[in-house]
Amino acid sequence: MVQDLLNSLTLGSIYLLFALGMALVWGTIGILNFAHGSIFMFATFVAYLVTERVALPLPAVLIVASLTGAVLSVAVQVLAFQPIMRRAKNQHSAELQILIGGIGIAAVPIALAQRATLSNPFGLGQSTFQVQIYEIGDVRVSNIMIIILLAGLILGGGVAWWVKASRQGLALRAIGVNDEVASIMGINKQRLALSTMALGGALAGLAGALLTYYLSAITPESGDALLIKAFAAIVLGGLGSIAGVIAGSLILALSETMVLTYTSGTWVNAVSFGLIFLILVIRPQGIFGRKEVVRT
Amino acid sequence: MTDNSQPVLEAVDVAVHYGGIKAVDGISFSLMPGRITGILGPNGSGKTTLLGALTRMVSLTNGRLLFLGKDYSNILAPKVLSLGISRTFQTVRVLSDRTVLDNILLGTDALSGSRAGNIREIVRQAIERTGLEGFEHVRPGELSYGIQRRVEIARAIASQPSLLLLDEPTAGMNQHERQEIGGLLRQLRDEGLTQLLIEHDVQMMLDTCDTLLAMNFGSLIAEGSPESVVQNSAVQEAYLGKRTGQDA
Amino acid sequence: MNFFTTNIILVENTLVVILLALSIQIPLRLGVFSFAAIGYYAIGAYGSAILMLEFGWGSWEAMIVATLAATAIAFLLGLVLARLTGLYLGMATIAFDLILVVLVLNGGSLTGGPVGVFGVLGSIHLWHLALAVVIVLGLLTFTERGKLARRFDAVREDPQLASSMGINVFSYRRLSFVISGVLGALAGSFAVNLRSTVAPESIGFGLVVLGLTVIIVGGQGSWVGAVIGASIFVWLPKFLEFVGDWEEVIYGIIVVLAAIFIPGGIVGLFVEAKHRRQSKRNKEVIELAATRLAGSGEGASDANSQVEGALSD
Repeated sequence: MVQDLLNSLTLGSIYLLFALGMALVWGTIGILNFAHGSIFMFATFVAYLVTERVALPLPAVLIVASLTGAVLSVAVQVLAFQPIMRRAKNQHSAELQILIGGIGIAAVPIALAQRATLSNPFGLGQSTFQVQIYEIGDVRVSNIMIIILLAGLILGGGVAWWVKASRQGLALRAIGVNDEVASIMGINKQRLALSTMALGGALAGLAGALLTYYLSAITPESGDALLIKAFAAIVLGGLGSIAGVIAGSLILALSETMVLTYTSGTWVNAVSFGLIFLILVIRPQGIFGRKEVVRT
Repeated sequence: MTDNSQPVLEAVDVAVHYGGIKAVDGISFSLMPGRITGILGPNGSGKTTLLGALTRMVSLTNGRLLFLGKDYSNILAPKVLSLGISRTFQTVRVLSDRTVLDNILLGTDALSGSRAGNIREIVRQAIERTGLEGFEHVRPGELSYGIQRRVEIARAIASQPSLLLLDEPTAGMNQHERQEIGGLLRQLRDEGLTQLLIEHDVQMMLDTCDTLLAMNFGSLIAEGSPESVVQNSAVQEAYLGKRTGQDA
Repeated sequence: MNFFTTNIILVENTLVVILLALSIQIPLRLGVFSFAAIGYYAIGAYGSAILMLEFGWGSWEAMIVATLAATAIAFLLGLVLARLTGLYLGMATIAFDLILVVLVLNGGSLTGGPVGVFGVLGSIHLWHLALAVVIVLGLLTFTERGKLARRFDAVREDPQLASSMGINVFSYRRLSFVISGVLGALAGSFAVNLRSTVAPESIGFGLVVLGLTVIIVGGQGSWVGAVIGASIFVWLPKFLEFVGDWEEVIYGIIVVLAAIFIPGGIVGLFVEAKHRRQSKRNKEVIELAATRLAGSGEGASDANSQVEGALSD
């Protein structure tokens, strides 16, 4: 029971780190970045390539992954999303184009990683960090789990605070509420979009490295699987709310762990899909979301 | 034979409340056949919301709507056109990827049976009356705002209404165009088309309307002949700072 | 003759993808962001397969029943999701599609689990599919001309305007779910009949991606776009044989470039060219008429209307 809780919290923290980046960009700039999963995976892949040559300690690996994630996200924004938004006729068509552009660009890193690894899993075993498992009673805790939980707590709380309290956070929320007014008030949407994408990408890269240590390996396809779960977490918690993403990630992880414990592994994915569908039908704005977000 | 003493449209105690806001707060009035009734009021007075309520695009919190004596307070919005009620919008709503002709044809697409008549002739007339000859194959995006408004009016006329609701049809037009439109509306009235007109240009209201209603904060504050309403002290107060004699 | 027989599978695939693409395109043309067509495809494919294998039904009966089932589910889905629009509707429908994949994976011997269903031998031939596609394209042409085309555009671009023009927007949207159901299920049913097999990986997110990319590259506004897009993506691997494993990368790059530079698809390019030609012809007309309407040289609005204009916001 406690073990399940611990596992859920760990999983939930990973979901949170991954979903935060996506939620930040989606809830404010309005971009649904389908390449986020690909970035998550490729940032980790780059970290893997680096550790294959140089046995780095944990902090260095995490930094490499985060930086790569940030760079990749910015690249996607500059190469794909910005051009699309510049040319778009209206909100409606821009959304679809960004969706598809994201899907298209996501294919590139995945294909590259698949070629290099022949679709085999890759891990960060060559770094100096060793996973250690401690037993407290009949609960097994590993050092990586503790690190993940801390990361989730600190970064989750940190981002939530930042959005609420900082000037950039305020600017971001202003864009989310009213784009035009925000720009009249001098908020540089373009620059803020870039830094938000960078932050999101960094969080994704970090999540990727941490997850890889936790599971001991991931595959080139791992990112896409997470993508849908991130949707579920965000939709459940409510778009536009950081507290929502946190709540959604934890609830999702808990539900999945329970389903895994009491049924077989093949139904686990149904949790995220089912949650998405149910929430959108019953309460589209999610737990903490604003009601006006979904218009008829 | 139309009974000229029976109102074409009656609004009885119409109210539209959103959350805590009373956009329209208990308004009653009648639109008499073959007359142009104007609604005057500052921004936020609820005029456009009222129009929305009359066309069933906005739900009534209270009150009733009657068209030719029959209650239509609960019908679906798309059915309003088939009653014979057409409208234009405050912001120009045209299909930007379609030609002017196509946009006007949209007004005729719902016509059936006896009202259909000769579509080609109906459209030709609508184009002629709004002065859009030559623009048929142009797309609205390439035209000025004023011309786009004419397209809206042509589309509304083409739908062969017996009641036409116009929401600031001359916004964005110059004085000359405004006078032309005013003339068109009067001509349509002479041919029997009942109209409800929301406008800001007070002179145009004086020139065009047979009756005037004034609104403020969702309520009717004056009703009667255009001259009397315009000179009404409550109305003038609502328009604080606005000089009504300026247009003469 | 030789070309045809050696490429018969590609021809089959093209026709199936055309139907699938159309089943996504119709809702999009009405402004309905529903990708549930992939789910209807799954119902059509697995439905036909199960009816034929488990219950010994014939191809046609199975196809009809599977399609009816998918259409009924589509109708219900349209009602349940009626309040959603845009990306939210898109996600709900993708969730629906993926839930079906999970159901199929857990369907035990009925659905063949992860392995899928094999040995579905039916009496449907390629020319049946070709005929069906031709009929569908013919019917759709009605929706791309005149009155119906205008109404579709109105529903998509300005539902309030459409409503004021007597169009019941909700009805049209519900109808788009139903049509999507029919076309998607037919695509799946034909596919399983001609290929004799269906598996979870052929009805999953990959199919959503295929459908979307076909439409974006081909064009959203007309069936011609679906045909062009389907032809490109089904035949592309053959022509890209030389690139070997870079195929996925090229695919992704094409999609991104299309999303950025030709959002209207290939059909959109032609439409825009036509519009530009027409604009050039219209330029004189516009200038002449504009001077006529400006009246006695009073081009600019007078002070009063400027004040009103400023107040009208």
